[in-house]
Amino acid sequence: MKLKSFLLFVAIFTLFSVNNQSVAQKHRKSTEIIILHTNDMHSRIDNFGKLAYLADSLRKTHKYVFLVSAGDNFTGNPIVDMYPDKGFPMIDLMNKLDFDVTAVGNHEFDMGQELQNKRREQAKFPYVTCTIDVSGAVVKPYEPYVLLKAGKIKIPFLGLLQLGENGLPDSHPSRLEGLKFTNGIEKAKDFISLKDKYGMLVVLSHLGVDDDEILANTYPQLDLIIGGHSHTTMNKPMMVNNVMIVQTGSGLKNIGITTLQVTKGKITDRRYELVPLASITKTDPEVQAMIDKYNSNEEMKRVVGFAETAFSSQEELGYMMTDAITSRLKVDFAFQNGGGIRISELPQGNILLKDIFRLDPFGNQVVTYTMTSDEIKSLISNAYNREKSIDLAPSGMSYTVIVNSEGLCAEVEIKDKTGNILDTGKSYTVGVNSYIAASYKFNHTDPGTTNYNTTAQILLDYLEDAKKVNYAGVKRISEKK
Amino acid sequence: MKVILNNSEIIIFKGATISDMVLAYSVRSHKMLISGKLCVYDRFGNLTEIDGPVYEGQMFFLKRKE
Repeated sequence: MKLKSFLLFVAIFTLFSVNNQSVAQKHRKSTEIIILHTNDMHSRIDNFGKLAYLADSLRKTHKYVFLVSAGDNFTGNPIVDMYPDKGFPMIDLMNKLDFDVTAVGNHEFDMGQELQNKRREQAKFPYVTCTIDVSGAVVKPYEPYVLLKAGKIKIPFLGLLQLGENGLPDSHPSRLEGLKFTNGIEKAKDFISLKDKYGMLVVLSHLGVDDDEILANTYPQLDLIIGGHSHTTMNKPMMVNNVMIVQTGSGLKNIGITTLQVTKGKITDRRYELVPLASITKTDPEVQAMIDKYNSNEEMKRVVGFAETAFSSQEELGYMMTDAITSRLKVDFAFQNGGGIRISELPQGNILLKDIFRLDPFGNQVVTYTMTSDEIKSLISNAYNREKSIDLAPSGMSYTVIVNSEGLCAEVEIKDKTGNILDTGKSYTVGVNSYIAASYKFNHTDPGTTNYNTTAQILLDYLEDAKKVNYAGVKRISEKK
Repeated sequence: MKVILNNSEIIIFKGATISDMVLAYSVRSHKMLISGKLCVYDRFGNLTEIDGPVYEGQMFFLKRKE
């Protein structure tokens, strides 16, 4: 298998070199510029050694090689996201590989504005975006674009950021305070003159492929859109309105190699290849040592809370998980499904960061609903009927499932924390994980909204606030047959 | 929000991912997606990773890996 992978890499590399030679012969007076690009790395660091090897190999044989990211470098791997200096391993590795620029993605805000400033101070490459007004915010101003130089040639790389229906990028709104955002497709108009000035224009787009298509249809002046956000893996480029659109998926599984041939100040040829990093068997030893160091991170042994008594069941652990949601998100009720509680006990004593990710490894987000008591009953009832047994651990309430002769839920009795039956005319706020939201059938007129917090992060925050927890003997669910 | 998967309308929460969408479509299909037997393609025919976001009105296709 290793030999097969190595041969594949050699084939890609040889094809690339032969292709380049033939193009170079064709364009004797032209300049060849190689852009290595990634997007949506989401804190995945394991392939950085292979990328370093590839980048260095190309830098040895080609004069102009750029390495760029189309944003969302963070969020998705606790080794990076929970590092004592949150996110630093990613910056450290991107610096080591000599990244030239990154676009600002929506998840660049997940660590908060102050920490983003700190990461940007540490970065040896700029964050670019033209769609954010920071005048009322903590985060420092961004350059809208950067000029990357290949001899006398200057290529502008313009940054664009995605906005959701609410006019904000997909991150928790509390992390976006003071920021004003403008629509990237409209704002790009202000920078199209860069094409006239420099003869070419590249967009580092964190808009997603649907908006990239609109962008290309709107501005045929663009030469290249290096896309991100939609996690689209393009084996070949999309050509729209003679604009080339490329994107490489997510998690640094692949790298894009886009080659520009520039003749007399104009791009005369564009080529794109998608290289799966799994096909590269060699790695840069220095970078690999950095990755290994981060992956064996002692931070995972950090104490995040204290269990005054042992957790002896999934049910007790479920109560802690749901109490975290009601406490942190200020919702009335929360539910956790049994299948999402991945350990069944936790000893008395210190709770470590790694225990959180053993308990809740899935990266599920919290989804909140406004629901009536009947809708809440339908959730509990349908959850019970999936396996004809109690499934959901609640917070903010206790409930009893009345079971009929067929073993199905016939009725649900719910009492709030004070022991009162829920008011049938009232609506309640409810938090569940995204697995329940996606796969459980229940009545709800509110389609639900995620706030881009993971259940693991919520639990971590809860424990760090509470310091001590004790769930021995807690009982919130029962069934009557 | 509503999205379309294999010409079926899926109602899913805002902020859902490709994985969430397939889970809402079919638990069995989701298992095949996770195992790599099935993949999700966008309206342009591009492969879309399972952690990608989905938005109102988008259209996807769940198919055997091409």
